Order: sequence, then C-alpha cells, then structure tokens
Amino acid sequence: MLDFLAEHQLYIVMIIVLMIWAGFLVYLFRLDGRISKLEQSVKK
Amino acid sequence: MKDFSAPAIHIFFKDSHSELRTRYAMNALLMFVVTALALVLFSVGNEVVGTDVLSGILWVIIFFSGMSGLSRTFVSEEERGTVVTLQLLSRPTSVLLGKLLFNFVLILSLNVLIAVLYLLMVSRFVILTPSIFWVTIFLGSCSLASSSTIIAAIIAKANTKGTLYPVLSFPIMLPLLLTVMNATRLSTEGAAFSEAFGEFQILVSYTVVVITVSILLFSFVWKD
Amino acid sequence: MKSATAKIGLVVWLTLVISAGILFPMVAAPQKWYELPIIPGLEEKARIIFFHVPMAWTTVVAFIASTIYGIRFLMTKNLDYDLRSVSAAGLGTMFCILATVTGSIWAKFNWGSFWNWDPRETSIFVLLLIYGAYFALRSAVDVEEKRATLSAVYSIIAGVTVPFFIFVMPRIMTGLHPGSKGDPQGAGPVVQFKMAPNMLLVFLSSLLGFTLLYFWMFNLKVRASRLEFHSQQPQE
Repeated sequence: MLDFLAEHQLYIVMIIVLMIWAGFLVYLFRLDGRISKLEQSVKK
Repeated sequence: MKDFSAPAIHIFFKDSHSELRTRYAMNALLMFVVTALALVLFSVGNEVVGTDVLSGILWVIIFFSGMSGLSRTFVSEEERGTVVTLQLLSRPTSVLLGKLLFNFVLILSLNVLIAVLYLLMVSRFVILTPSIFWVTIFLGSCSLASSSTIIAAIIAKANTKGTLYPVLSFPIMLPLLLTVMNATRLSTEGAAFSEAFGEFQILVSYTVVVITVSILLFSFVWKD
Repeated sequence: MKSATAKIGLVVWLTLVISAGILFPMVAAPQKWYELPIIPGLEEKARIIFFHVPMAWTTVVAFIASTIYGIRFLMTKNLDYDLRSVSAAGLGTMFCILATVTGSIWAKFNWGSFWNWDPRETSIFVLLLIYGAYFALRSAVDVEEKRATLSAVYSIIAGVTVPFFIFVMPRIMTGLHPGSKGDPQGAGPVVQFKMAPNMLLVFLSSLLGFTLLYFWMFNLKVRASRLEFHSQQPQE
C-alpha cells in the first residue's frame, strides 16, 4: 500500500483532497442536524 | 502608579501571611518537587542521559510543580468566599499586581529550590555558564508567574478548577518553556553569556506583553 | 455572501482551482501557460500546496477572527459577538484538524514519518491545543455571560502569546517545510520562496477561494446558532 502510494504520488494528493472533502461533508451533516432540530423546536 | 502599588503590596502581604499560617501551597509544592525528582532519578538510573534531555526534564518538573500550586492564589479566595470583600476594598489592577507579586515570589523560591536540588542530585547535569543558568531561572520565574496568574484568575471562575489549569496553561506557556529549555541547554554547553541574549529578550518581552494584556483584561475576569 | 450569484461564483471558482491543481501537468521545462515546473524532491506531491496550505491559512484566519470577536464582545457585552467568536473557533478547529491530517499524510511520504516536530507542525499542534483548551474552558462555565467573558479573555491571551513561536522556533530547530530556512533546496525564508508564476497564481486563487468558503461556512454557522439562541431564550 505504502509502496504503491510512494510510486504513484498523485494518489497522495487525491487522498488529501478527499480528506478535505470529507471534513466539509462532516460539517454539512452537522449543520443539517442542527437545522432539523431548530425546525422541530419551531413547530412545537 | 502609587494608587496601585500600595494596595498591591498589602494584598501581597495578606497572601503571604495566610500562606505562612496554613502552608497549604508550600507543603504541597515541596512534596510534589521531591516526588517528581525522585521519579526522575529512579527512571534515569544509571543510564547516560544527554544534558539537553536533562535540562528539558528540569523544566518539566518546574512546569508541573508550578501547575500544582500556583492556581491557589485565586482559587483560595473563591473557596473562602473572600472575593466580594476584595472586590469592594481594592481596585482590580492592585489585586492583580498583588497576586502577581505573590506568585512570582512563590515560583522564584520554588525554582531556586528545584534548581539547587536538581544540581545536587543529578550529577550528570553540570552547568558550565552559571550566569546564563541563574538569569534563566530568574526570567523564567517572571514569565511563568505572569502567565500563570491571569490563567489562575480565569479558572477560579470555572467549575473544574484543578484539571483545567494545566490544560489552559500549556499552550500559553509553550513558547516560554521552549525558550528556557534552550537557554538551559546553552548554559550546560558552556556558551558565552552573550549567546543567550536572544533567549533573554524573548523572555522579557513575553513577560511584558502578558502582564500588559493581563492588566487590560483582568477587570473583566474579576468582576461578576 | 448575500447574493446567490456570489455563492455560485465561489463554487465555480473553487471547482476551477481544484481542477487546475490536479490537472495541470508537471513537466521538466514548462513551455505552455498551464505547465507547472517539477520541483526536485517533491514532484507530484508539490500539488499539496494548493490544498493543504489553504487549510492552515484558514485556521489562522479563524483564530484571528475568533480573537477579534472576543475583543468586541468584551467592549460591547453583546452576546452576539460571543456567538460569532465560538462559531469562528469551531470552524477553525475543523480546518486545523484538516491541515494537521493532510500535512501528516504528506509528511509520511516526504519526510518518512507522520510527525516530525517541524516548527510549523509544532505551531499547528499548539493551535489545536489552544482550541481544545478554549472549548474545555467553555464547557466548564455555566453562566452564559461569564462563559463568554472568560473564553474571550483566554482567546486574547492565546492570541498574544502564539506569535512568540515565530521568534522561538528558529532558535530551537531548523524547518523541514519546503521554502523554510532549513530546506535543503536552499529556498531561503518563506517570503523568498521561488514559485513559478502560474503555480503561484493557482496557489493564491486557492487561498482566496478557501478563505471565502470559510466565510460562507462561518455565516451559515452563525445564523444557525443565532436561531438556536433566540429560540431558547423565551422558554427560560
């Protein structure tokens, strides 16, 4: 796995970009959860 | 300046008196230092440890013993319920300066004690330039006292006082700890006094900046 | 970040920057405008600059924003500023983690281990510790006003002590980061880092794009917490 990555360096960049993407997705989902909670409290 | 200094000195003497009566912080600190030193000596054993590691360990002991005792200044006021009296009687700046002076005297005597014990017990730790070493101890005490006092004031208002103190202090004190470790390493390598000048400059400016910011911010923390 | 056009523009901008960062070929002797030079020792890994550095940069922006909102809270005692300060710090933590993780993966392949205590690694680690301490402090205070004051004071103190690392670090160790003083390629301090103009352009566009993205995310977060804050108030 590490040897493969050391040879194909573009894949490292790819992993890094995917991680940043994952971080943004986590943020989105958490914001989504917060807004759903807000919607429920507004309905009550 | 005179308006602040006289009450500040009164607060310093008040704290020293109550400290000398109960010896709470002093006893706890002393035991902590002895325990920590013994642990270091046990773990080092007969190993050959480089002087740069040893000068690091010295400041690790100083940092954690400071952490175990320095928060007392404000926490004890809070616990005894004497905060309101102090708030009524004196200005925030004098309270801060008084506490700062007390913490400084406490940590300076503690550091000198640790340094002497360390030099006596760790035979491999030889200081080639004593002037750098003792100036580092002195300036290190100044800067440790400056940052520990304002953080003690913050955590005195929080719920979990004991555990929070090192957590909040460490990132604030890290630049200063790295500097004093480096200066101590220089003193074991026999560097000339002028070589450590940059380190001293950092320590002095750190102290000045932190004390200035503390004076500006303290009233926000102090008043409820 | 009010109008929809600005948001769509930002999304298009970032998409272009990310595509350019990955697609622009790296050749030994760049001829065309889109060809990036090969940097010896970095090769394709050099592309990380378009993604990792903006994360670290945004962390610093968030840290400064949090401190400034802290100062404004202390001056006005308006809890809305505290709300902004927390939101900035929360997002800053996220970007800080992203910068640390992406950097450490890259370090594994460039420097041989995930963590090397290089000056910049140490600094980002300290920022992470400060964010941790900031939220630990907040969770330890119950009264809103007090919590806001204490955390604002703490963030200001952290804000004035962190810059000392700039002076302390070079005395302790040499840097490993490309472009720092200890770099074997001898690029000199970071300001003199020689970068091909087209690479610099992509890099700066990426910095700008991610910074604006941060402000968009920040804006969303503040609006959500403001709603939360006001929906809780009447019941109490």
